[in-house]
Amino acid sequence: MKKFTYLLPIILCLALAFWSCEKDLPTEAVIEPYTFAGLDENGGNWDPVLLANGAEIGIPAPADVTSAAYLAELEDLKNAAASLSSSQKAAVQYWGGNALVRWNEIARELAAKYNLIPAPNPDGTYPAPNAANPSQYPLFPFANPPYTCRMLAYWSAAQFDAMIAAWYHKYQFNRPAPHEVDSSIETLLPHSGLPAYPSEDAAIAAVSKAVLSAMFPLEKDFLAAKAEEHKNSRLWAGMNVESDLVAGDSLGRAVAARFLARAATDGMKNAQTPKPVSDSIAQAAQDRFGWHWENLETPQRPVGLTPLFGKVKPWCVPNIVDVRPGPPPAPGSPEFQRDAEELQDIQDNLTTEQRRIANFWSDGLGTYTPPGHWNRFASDALLARNYNPLRTARTFAYMNMAIMDAGIACWDAKYYYHYPRPSQAIPGFQTILGIPNFPSYTSGHSTFSAAAATVLAHIFPEDKAQFDAWAEEAAESRIYGGIHYRFDATVGIETGHLVGNYSVVVAQADGAE
Amino acid sequence: MKYFKLWAPAIALALSLNLSAQTPSDAILMHKGQICLAALYTHDTWDEYWEGTLKRDNGNIGTLTRQTVMPMFALGITDRINVIAGLPWVRTSASAGQMTGVSGLQDAGLWVKAKAFELKTGESALTLHATAGLTVPASNYLADYMPFSLGLGCIDASLRAIVKYQWKGWYARAHLGYHVRGNTTIERDYYYTTQDYYTDEVDMPNALDYGASLGWWNPKGTLKAELTMDGLQTLGGFDIRRQDAGFPSNKMNFTRLGAGMQYYPISGTGLGIIVSGGYVVAGRNMGQSLVLTGGVTYQFHIWH
Repeated sequence: MKKFTYLLPIILCLALAFWSCEKDLPTEAVIEPYTFAGLDENGGNWDPVLLANGAEIGIPAPADVTSAAYLAELEDLKNAAASLSSSQKAAVQYWGGNALVRWNEIARELAAKYNLIPAPNPDGTYPAPNAANPSQYPLFPFANPPYTCRMLAYWSAAQFDAMIAAWYHKYQFNRPAPHEVDSSIETLLPHSGLPAYPSEDAAIAAVSKAVLSAMFPLEKDFLAAKAEEHKNSRLWAGMNVESDLVAGDSLGRAVAARFLARAATDGMKNAQTPKPVSDSIAQAAQDRFGWHWENLETPQRPVGLTPLFGKVKPWCVPNIVDVRPGPPPAPGSPEFQRDAEELQDIQDNLTTEQRRIANFWSDGLGTYTPPGHWNRFASDALLARNYNPLRTARTFAYMNMAIMDAGIACWDAKYYYHYPRPSQAIPGFQTILGIPNFPSYTSGHSTFSAAAATVLAHIFPEDKAQFDAWAEEAAESRIYGGIHYRFDATVGIETGHLVGNYSVVVAQADGAE
Repeated sequence: MKYFKLWAPAIALALSLNLSAQTPSDAILMHKGQICLAALYTHDTWDEYWEGTLKRDNGNIGTLTRQTVMPMFALGITDRINVIAGLPWVRTSASAGQMTGVSGLQDAGLWVKAKAFELKTGESALTLHATAGLTVPASNYLADYMPFSLGLGCIDASLRAIVKYQWKGWYARAHLGYHVRGNTTIERDYYYTTQDYYTDEVDMPNALDYGASLGWWNPKGTLKAELTMDGLQTLGGFDIRRQDAGFPSNKMNFTRLGAGMQYYPISGTGLGIIVSGGYVVAGRNMGQSLVLTGGVTYQFHIWH
């Protein structure tokens, strides 16, 4: 029996072994700097989203590369490069792969950070975030799916316009990159082949800083520091001189201002209604259809999430009512019973795979939401193709405009039909996922996902099957989670494809194809 | 004859963390060739919890109930070395809200306990025991969705030191354990704690568990009564944000006061009864649990 005394040291060694082999978990994408697959030299002539054209916002003509002013800037560049710290070199690598994907990652992280629903007050009422006083609990914003899809749409559409404008001026002025003027300059990043003035990176940083600061006002300082680092990383890398950055920054700020002006009047500020308005919307559905959705939380939330998000101004769908689906089956009807029984059957016999799918796509509170999930997919697809910033911005823009339009269409249906969730309509029904605070029909996951998949399949046709499969699985996941009927998911997918096609039609005509 | 009595209450903690299974943390050993079989039932309920440091209730949970059934054994390999094993089955449910509870096997545990030091003088004795343990998830239960999840879903290796001072029928005991935890996995490949993570793995913070007790045996050696204090300190981890859900790598701390009794009703049969109760008096990212445990033990010799 003596050998058992060896167990103790063995267990100790095992403990030390798995302690020491734990490695850091990934907190961001690994993006190796790359050479662009193409330059899209005519990109400055593509049709922007809000700007009339790439020329609309002017910037001063750059100083000649033989001028004293430029030569002084080159000297500064060399001096900076001679004494880079390791954190400056790390910043060059961080931003040097695909800066739009980096900012998209930051936007998603902020969405997750702010995606927390207000807690009830001690007296059973609920406080609401206040844009005028963002730091008072509950912090502004509550980055729920409507908020997040809109945030990403403004961020990416503004980036697209900024890149078109940057491209226009780049090829108008044709200022060479520093290393082309002075061959002694060694860059830390691959040569892009793009004219250097204005700097696309400075424009990207300026748009990101302006749009994201408006969307996440408490993160202003954090975003300003990120933007500053991004801009400076171009100097440290030897890629741009100061005047390239100044021009890019001013262009980016001007473009962002256009988009923020649109955002101020797109109807979002009325989306979260007071209770009387919310009650009248529910009553309208009751009168029209004989049913209405109710929040089942304790204490009950008096107003669902953004009842008037369906009235927010879309990007590519001229009239959102045109894509409103037909009515769902009435509770108690044979079609309803069939799908309700399916739900009960799934919850009673949930398989490991069904549970995994429900959780994988849950994208609920405290996450980047389904729109964020699709931005992650888009980021991966973009990185796999070494897209230049203009093509990258275009992909994000059409996908996120489609996702926001899908959200608007979905919310229009949700509050028009005001359909009860399964847990409200099926007595005693329990779920493995938390129930969102808005009506059931149609499924937001399904609509967002099908719209995103439609645009991504247009841009990356070779991966269409994968995008469609993801959208289908996202839709299915809500049924497994017990929070949507199959008809919510099926019709949501149909609406999503329909909405996504509007964006595809615009994309087909913008000059990039 | 007190050393062969198995004292094994309250295996399941407020969140069934398996950290303070009393058997691995007491100072009792089976004789060589002797085995003690135990079956324990633990009923753990709370209706308030700490969201970070904020104490609150939750109308969508109501009262959370966690029931644990745990068969276990302790076997004397030698007079100085014991092997202990247990396999809890857990069920969770909430009295309010629409979230469904879950049930299943939690973490299989194996511990080796050894007497490292003993000093006897007259009617008093000072002993030092050490326990090394390993718990491993015994099913593919989901560690996500605290507090409904059955457990943390990670491998936990622990080392524990137990000091006991005995004088006549009285004793005082204290233990301190260190837990090294492997990563757990959740069924989504992105999550936010205080920052983004793009993986389905969660780095679990290590933890300390500790406890102290004061006890008494009746002169016949058939009844033991004990007052206990025990707790957990997670080394690292993060607080649940306002109105957010719990997460496996939260900073889970608690301090609990309790009492227990073990009784051998029929002398010479090896049959024992265990009853204990505990109440969490301070905590962080955990429920304020009232934990009640009852069970039977049976001990006999396999070989001599």
